[in-house]
Order: sequence, then structure tokens, then C-alpha cells
Amino acid sequence: MTVQGLTLIRNGVRLLDDISTTIRSGRITVLLGHNGAGKTLFLSCLHGLIGYEAGRIEGPPRASQKMVFQKPIILRRSARHHLEFICPDIDRKLLEELMGRAGLAERIDAPARALSGGEQQKLALIGAIAAKPDILFLDEPTSHLDFEATEFIEAMITEAHANGTSIMLTTHNRAQAERLGEDILLLDRGELIEVAPADQFFHSPKHPIARQYLAHL
Amino acid sequence: MEIWTPFQNALSLMIALEGELIAIIGLSLMVSLTAVATSMVIGLPMGALLAAYQFPGRTAVIVVTNTFLGMPPVVIGLVIYLLISRAGPFGWMGILYTPAAMMLAQTILVLPISIALSRQAFEALNGEYAPLFRSLGLGRIAWIKALVVEARVALLTIALACFGRAIAEVGAVMIVGGNIRHSTRVMTTSIALATSMGDLAFAMALGMVLLLVALLVNIASQFLRHNFRKHGHDV
Repeated sequence: MTVQGLTLIRNGVRLLDDISTTIRSGRITVLLGHNGAGKTLFLSCLHGLIGYEAGRIEGPPRASQKMVFQKPIILRRSARHHLEFICPDIDRKLLEELMGRAGLAERIDAPARALSGGEQQKLALIGAIAAKPDILFLDEPTSHLDFEATEFIEAMITEAHANGTSIMLTTHNRAQAERLGEDILLLDRGELIEVAPADQFFHSPKHPIARQYLAHL
Repeated sequence: MEIWTPFQNALSLMIALEGELIAIIGLSLMVSLTAVATSMVIGLPMGALLAAYQFPGRTAVIVVTNTFLGMPPVVIGLVIYLLISRAGPFGWMGILYTPAAMMLAQTILVLPISIALSRQAFEALNGEYAPLFRSLGLGRIAWIKALVVEARVALLTIALACFGRAIAEVGAVMIVGGNIRHSTRVMTTSIALATSMGDLAFAMALGMVLLLVALLVNIASQFLRHNFRKHGHDV
């Protein structure tokens, strides 16, 4: 996926400022930055959810992309029907297997919105991964989740990656970024400050803002 | 006590379920339920369209709809009367003083409610689901269909609000129906007539039936709501 000169302006404020980069296919790319840096907006632009003022984004069609939102968007249906809506071709056996792995086998016919926050996040991720997308965007997929749910979600991400899905996720968790990230992008106030392989980013960041950011992360 | 006499007489009338009373109740329900169903069929897609899409004249439609929300039934009755009376543009239809005219009047009366309330419900849901639906690449029809499914609990409440307004109004059906015995007489027009003629027992009996209908409708809706809640669709 290539991004050239991506600029997003709202009410005269440049929320994303002339971003150019290449997101390598088959990699897990972690997008870092403080709150308000523009991470969610950047993902939304890449996924084609919102329009932008200037620039160009080239990548696989949206039909082969999936996005899991920071606050999972869950339908007013049972967990099973939610998954069938998100992923209409889903195989019944696969659906049940994934729910079982998520520890939700017994909640499969329960109201999806009656599930806990962590369970809803798992459900959203299952729906996205079952579709076997080329690219999967994850906006803070484990914020506010406990250890067990985080572990499951990271395992699913790693597995999807192993199956050839390119992943792009945002997080505020340094350990998670180090565990999962292969490439790191750092955004600061809408500007792309640093792009580097994870090792390099965490051990010898180039930009002063990146060093400062890591010192507080 | 004399004040209780109409109540007692009304009760015995209700228990006897005399033929004319049944016919009046039946016609009331038929007219109002048809009006509610028609207004929902027309109003829901319009509400969804107004909520989910921007188009020229959208604001004007919203303003007009909201204005009609407070329209007195007698005024709607008068306008429909002028349209369908023999000299009116739709006089050829010959529906004045028939149940069809009453259904038409009540449909026009409750249509703004179904449009305005469903627009509100759809707007809230659309705000919530738009990122997901866009992400899934839903087309216009699939989008609206999904919104309607998600809004089903709210739509039940809207249908109830429409039914409440339809079954309780008297002005519009009186004007276009004419309150003709055995033909266009409904509960509210009968109450008005019976009261003016001093037949308080009959008026009271119908009043109690109206209350009973409201009670039954609410019990049914509570039951449905409970069922929705059990399946987690109301959160």
C-alpha cells in the first residue's frame, strides 16, 4: 500500500499533513503516536472510510480489507447473526470453531451486545479475520482488555499474519508493539515522524520526537 | 350514587358485547391499524432516506414533516374533505363518507409521526453503524435494510405512537367519515355523539373499551419488548 502526500484538513486544521510512505505487504505494521496524533484518521483514510483533501492512496480494493474499530461496532443480533452479517460466506463450522477458541462457544446464540467489552472485541476480530482479508486494520484492538483477552487477540493477529494477511494496528502499549511489530510508523500531530523496522525504531530511533516519545512510552 | 350509574350501565353493555358495539370497535381497529400500517410502509423508508442520505430539499422535507406533526386532526379532515368531496379533484373516487376516506385521513395524520420519529431513530443508528457499513461496502438498499433491522425495537415504539394518535382522534374521521351508523361510526365519534345525546352509559362503555385497547396494545408491546430484550436487541 502506498501513500503519497496524504493531507486531511478539518475546520482549517491539518489533521494529517502531507504523509507519504509505503506499507509493506505481508508485514505487521504498528502505528504509534500520542492521543490526537491522527492514528485513527490515518487508518480510516487508508481503509477508505473518510475522504481527504490531497494525496493519493493505492492498495488492494476495500472489499479485500477489513477494519476492527477501537470501540467495536456490534449489531443488535445474536453473536452468530452478527458474524454472519459481517462475513456472509462464513462457514458454520469455522464460525463455531472460532467462537470456541475465543471461549465464546456457549455465548454463540447470546445477544452480541450483551457480551462484555473484551468479548465484543474478540467477536469483532473473529468477524474480520474469518473473511481472510488482504489487509486488516486494527485500531487499538486490546485497549482496556485483560491479559487473557489480549493474549487471544494477539494470537489471532499472529495467525492471520502467518496466513498472509497484512496487518496494520495502532497501540499505546510498547510491549505489544515490540511483540507484534515488524515495521513501525510514528505519527505526531498529523505528521509522519519516523518509519523504521521495529528493532531499529525501539533501539536507535532517529528523530528527536521519536526518542522523546519512546522515553515516555 | 347517581354518578356511578353510567359506569354500571357501561359495564353491563361491555359484558353483553352488543352487536353494534362490536361493529364500532371492529371498524375503529380496522381503520386505525390500516392507517398505521400504511404510514409505516411509507414513512420508514422516507425516515431512513432522510437519516442516511443528503439530497437537495432534504431540510425542506424535514421542516414540512415536523410542521405536520402538530397538525390538528380537524384541519387534516377538512383538507381531505375538500379533496375528495364531489367537487374536489379526487371526487371521482367516490370515497367520501366511507371507511376508505377515514383510513386515508388517519394515514395522513400519522405519516409525519412515522417519518419524523423513524428519522430520529435511524439517525442515531446510522451514526453508530455508518463506519461498519461503509467498511463492509454495503450498497444503498442493503444499508437501509440493515438499518431497519437494527431499528426494529424503536420502530415498534413508533408504530405504537402512531396507533395511539390514530385510534384517539375524532376530528378527521368525523369530517370525512360522517359518523354514519352501521357504516363509518367509530369509537371516538360514537362517544362524541352519545355524550351529546345524553347516552352516557354507551359513551362510557366505549371510553372504557378505548382504554382497554390501549392497555392490550401496551401489553403486547411489552411482551415483544421483553422478547427483544431476551435476545439482546434492545441495548
